[in-house]
Amino acid sequence: MSTGVTQPASSSDLPVGGPELAEAEAQAVEAAGPRWWQIIWANRKAKVGVVILSLYVLVALFAPWVAPYQGTRTDFEALLEPSAEHWLGTTTSGGDIASQLIWGTRVSLLVGLFGGLFATAIALVIGMISGYFEGTWIDEVLSFLTNVALVVPILPLIITLMAYTEDRSIWFTIFVIAITSWAGAARAKRSQIITLRNRDFVTAAKFSGERSWTIVFREIMPGMSSLIMAGFFGAATGAVGAEAGLSFLGLGDTSSVSWGTMLYQANQQGALAQGLWIWLVVPGIALAVLITSFTFVNFGIDLLSNPHLREDG
Amino acid sequence: MRYFLRRIGFFIATLWAAVTLNFIIPRLQPGDPAEIMFKKLQGKDAELDPAKIEALRAMLGDPAGANLWDQYWNYLGSLARGDFGISYTYFPYEVKTVIGVALPWTLVLVGVTLIISFVVGTLLGAFAAWRRNSRFDSFVTLGSTFIGTLPSFWLALLILFAFGYVLGWFPTAGGYDASTPGWNGEFLADALYHSVLPASVLLITGPIGWILGMRNTMIMNLGEDYVRLARAKGVPDAQIALRYAARNALLPSITGLALALGSMLGGQILIEQVFDYPGLGRLTAQAIDNKDYPLLQALLLFTIVGVLVANLIADVLYGILDPRARKVTS
Amino acid sequence: MALLEVNNLSVRYEPKLHRPLTAVDDVSFSIAEGEFVGLIGESGSGKSTLANALLRLTERPARISGGSIAFDGRDLVTMNEDELRPYRWRDISTVFQSSMNALNPVVRVIDQFRDAIELHSDLRGDAVVDRVKQLFGMVMIEEKFITAYPHELSGGMKQRVNLALALANKPRFVLLDEPTTGLDVVVQRSILEAVRTLQAEQHFAVLFISHDMGTVLDLSDRILVMYAGRIVEEHDSADLMRNPLHPYSKGLMGSYGDPRAQTVRITYVPGRPPDLSAELTGCRFAPRCPERIERCLSVDPELLPLDGARVACHVAQLQAHPEPGVTVPPRSPAFAGPEFVKSDDESKQALAQEAFVSVDGVSKVFRTRNGMKFADFTAIDDVSFDLRRGAVTALVGQSGSGKSTLARMITGVEKPTSGTITFHSLDGEALEVGGMRSGALRDYRKRVQMVFQDPYSSLNPTKTLGYILSRPLRNFGRLSGAELTKRVDELLEIVALTPASRFRNRYAYELSGGQRQRVVIARALASNPELIVADEPISSLDVSIRAEILELLHNLVQDSDVSILYITHDLLSARMLADEVIVLSGGRVVEQGRALQVIRDPQDAYTRKLLDAIPNPFADLDRPAAAGE
Repeated sequence: MSTGVTQPASSSDLPVGGPELAEAEAQAVEAAGPRWWQIIWANRKAKVGVVILSLYVLVALFAPWVAPYQGTRTDFEALLEPSAEHWLGTTTSGGDIASQLIWGTRVSLLVGLFGGLFATAIALVIGMISGYFEGTWIDEVLSFLTNVALVVPILPLIITLMAYTEDRSIWFTIFVIAITSWAGAARAKRSQIITLRNRDFVTAAKFSGERSWTIVFREIMPGMSSLIMAGFFGAATGAVGAEAGLSFLGLGDTSSVSWGTMLYQANQQGALAQGLWIWLVVPGIALAVLITSFTFVNFGIDLLSNPHLREDG
Repeated sequence: MRYFLRRIGFFIATLWAAVTLNFIIPRLQPGDPAEIMFKKLQGKDAELDPAKIEALRAMLGDPAGANLWDQYWNYLGSLARGDFGISYTYFPYEVKTVIGVALPWTLVLVGVTLIISFVVGTLLGAFAAWRRNSRFDSFVTLGSTFIGTLPSFWLALLILFAFGYVLGWFPTAGGYDASTPGWNGEFLADALYHSVLPASVLLITGPIGWILGMRNTMIMNLGEDYVRLARAKGVPDAQIALRYAARNALLPSITGLALALGSMLGGQILIEQVFDYPGLGRLTAQAIDNKDYPLLQALLLFTIVGVLVANLIADVLYGILDPRARKVTS
Repeated sequence: MALLEVNNLSVRYEPKLHRPLTAVDDVSFSIAEGEFVGLIGESGSGKSTLANALLRLTERPARISGGSIAFDGRDLVTMNEDELRPYRWRDISTVFQSSMNALNPVVRVIDQFRDAIELHSDLRGDAVVDRVKQLFGMVMIEEKFITAYPHELSGGMKQRVNLALALANKPRFVLLDEPTTGLDVVVQRSILEAVRTLQAEQHFAVLFISHDMGTVLDLSDRILVMYAGRIVEEHDSADLMRNPLHPYSKGLMGSYGDPRAQTVRITYVPGRPPDLSAELTGCRFAPRCPERIERCLSVDPELLPLDGARVACHVAQLQAHPEPGVTVPPRSPAFAGPEFVKSDDESKQALAQEAFVSVDGVSKVFRTRNGMKFADFTAIDDVSFDLRRGAVTALVGQSGSGKSTLARMITGVEKPTSGTITFHSLDGEALEVGGMRSGALRDYRKRVQMVFQDPYSSLNPTKTLGYILSRPLRNFGRLSGAELTKRVDELLEIVALTPASRFRNRYAYELSGGQRQRVVIARALASNPELIVADEPISSLDVSIRAEILELLHNLVQDSDVSILYITHDLLSARMLADEVIVLSGGRVVEQGRALQVIRDPQDAYTRKLLDAIPNPFADLDRPAAAGE
């Protein structure tokens, strides 16, 4: 598969033997390697992931137009069967399941996006600083912090933090998830920056008169972009799952609808005993498909950082 | 030797950090933490038992409105005595006792499924790597990836719905029906019967991490020169797979297993909640519902200490199994 | 009957995403019992693929696509793994190229011998231990190391252990695949000597694969020269040295010169090997060949006997057996391609120049912490010398001699513990290099630039060549816009990457190693520096193109005022490029003087040891290059 990917960099053309062949070599040089989006798009799984994720984003953005009703409305007749008015029926408390599902997309994507962003940002700052100052006391302190955060079990910690506050807003959830789940990524970034920092091109940049921040952000960072992206999607997956779990425990934002709160209510209000399977199944599928799309996109990103994986398609 | 001392040093430092974190969390909000909690609790049950207030203060290390530093020392002192205060949920039982009752349920359910998951997952992962790109490999890898995307508590809900409610094959809640728990055949059979559904969820989701982790490290090891050399030596395939690639690939999993065994003490909060299983996880969920702070904090501390001890054991074990680790300074 | 007979062997790579290619193409040769055969080839020649195929270790996406490998008359290619096993390690063993990872890191050395021995012999228990001790004795490693873990051994010791392991079952054939690459010259020498001695004692046959013509010629009875997946010449070593037949062999020979000559000439083969995944017509070497004729471009030459050897070259055959109507250049053992010449007179002139960098009594002590204890390590011990404007000074030493530390201090990366380094710039300033803060250091680097050892890691893979070259121009020269582009193009043209417009927007990974090193040199020139510190700039390049980079550096010194501090472990290349040579050992200067003088008449024992370590099969050969005296 993946015939769209072009040749490896080494596949030069004819060598130079005389002046007439210099031309051939120069042309060979023009056969550039594939660009990153080509690599991702050439992978079937990654392509599927990108398409699904885009659909979710569209649904979330246009929720007011896509959804038949406000997600928070509970003034319908309870326990209606699916119909033209209520595509997926209603809940025991008179909520429209389809609308809740569509509005729930917003919460999950928001948590995924910002939870992922914040966790990645924390990991990036701590990992970069600790790696760039490898061996100094700054690194010692940050590495210790990372190791501590790495062994502390995340879910119980999040739950305890959440339980202590009355703030049930989605932003607080995002904040708590972000500050508890950066450690693994920080460690990965630290070790990568250490590898990159010792490359000669970093020394060369100093000899080109570059300042430290230019070196970190323009020379080193671009080489880490696929790792950062992979870290982001990993963190986003974790954040989406954590939000659903917290909501399911009743620690979610009660003023908005998320898939986790839908499942919480379904469980609390006896959806299982009453056989209301749509209410139970649909939010889970939405979650699973979203997480699948993250995973698939990450396959593509792995291909960027790890060219020999491209072989496996 | 230095390696082991370093690991012990890290353990002590982390333990201190965790204990202190546990002390800080309730104080993160502005104002007197005890006052805030009283207010929250008053909303919950109108007449607040003075004994409960006392328990709360004791938990916060603040029997007599002392300053923060004294509170901290009092807190450390009561921890050292093993005094975690009194649970409101199960008033007037001590937190210690409540945890003691729930602990065996979690240990057996989570422990047994974890070990089975580890063994099965590692074997499947190793075999998938050895037969890389075979149909078995794609089946295992795709299957794990698929199951890995399902939220585990949702899977639990579906299984409970199907086998508990629709088919009615298994009980839908609780750990046992028999009136008195005890070491008799009737009770054990009953407990086993109740544990089938939660255990099955844990056995479906459990091996995934081990499969994928083992497969990756094993594939990496199979590409190493010493594996190539073993082939050149004429070492039979099965031996290369087991004694060379798998043995070396297993090392990172040991840390993982130890950490997993340690965090087992947190219980499976979501799964136990779904099945209303009487372990530490459900206890946590109850503590959240009832704002039972002494219980919640003790549970958190309990989990963290479990993980740290397990981590220390893993590090020591790793140092013994991998001679290179002892040389690495960090 | 030969012990090993390879007939029409081909190995194909068939990756899913790239075009397939035949890395080893229709190769035939044989090795007799007890014979020592060398196989020489450069990167991409297919020599390691061939090695894997001979050991039947070929893995996807490669496969043996044709031919046979007869060992003792039985074809290994058609055997299954169970049939092969009795041959493995009892008859055929190997020492891998990357010795560092060939031993299982978590298993004691003795246990890795044990499974090799017990699988293929009746020795058990103490008998095995005795055998391992005996093997350790053979490669001169103390017995106590048999229970060590691999990471407790040095690089050289690991490779000796690998050699001992290869000999564990008294094999009849040992394949050595670049067994000493990456090791220090002196260590390399001692291991190869061990190989030679053991082979003479035990009479196993050897196929010795290397990119280094010198060592191969030194050790082997017979030599196979491989180029682009083919064997292009097979020749007895002594004859090959005197009378190479294939132009590529001539080119490889020409890359070596006699450093003792008044004027040294070394040749290089311009261009790079063909892309094997493309459609190839004619001789694969033709595009780089100075002797090519019409026929070479259209007809693929076969490997045919000539003068007791075999060669795949139309021209060589036609020179021996002329055909009417076809004119070929006259037969000559020298490579007719470009040549780099360095005369001693140039050095004499250069040494008359004024000194502009003075290193005065410099020492560097590193303090390492080991738990609570501190240990001092003196990397540089009271070193003094001058660098002259417009001259090339070589700093020669083994790894660990302190040459890189010294270079780092001269470029201001590292601070001397004591002593001073003074830089007298062209505009009359005297700069004290040691005590510079970051701002002053930046200004200083405008004047002192670096060329690195590994062109693969010294160019940022995420940046275009245009961007890379523009940065020093922007930062130091304050250029921008059209002026900047113009200067970038000029730089590319100075290093012969023409036309510049074709290279400006390319990435480093699209270039060959030699081209990358040109970009690195162009970047160093961008700030119009007074001194370029070149740290082993050719050691990671293929032998046949090294002189090309040396020539480029040489021309820079001739055409402008720039001086070069050339850091190397290789005395021959030091002689080629440098006017003055400083030999460093254990952080001290042990010898210093005009390049030719140091080489011809070394005063210090260490210099002599380094000179001896250079495999120099040409030393007693009458070559035109030496005739300059």
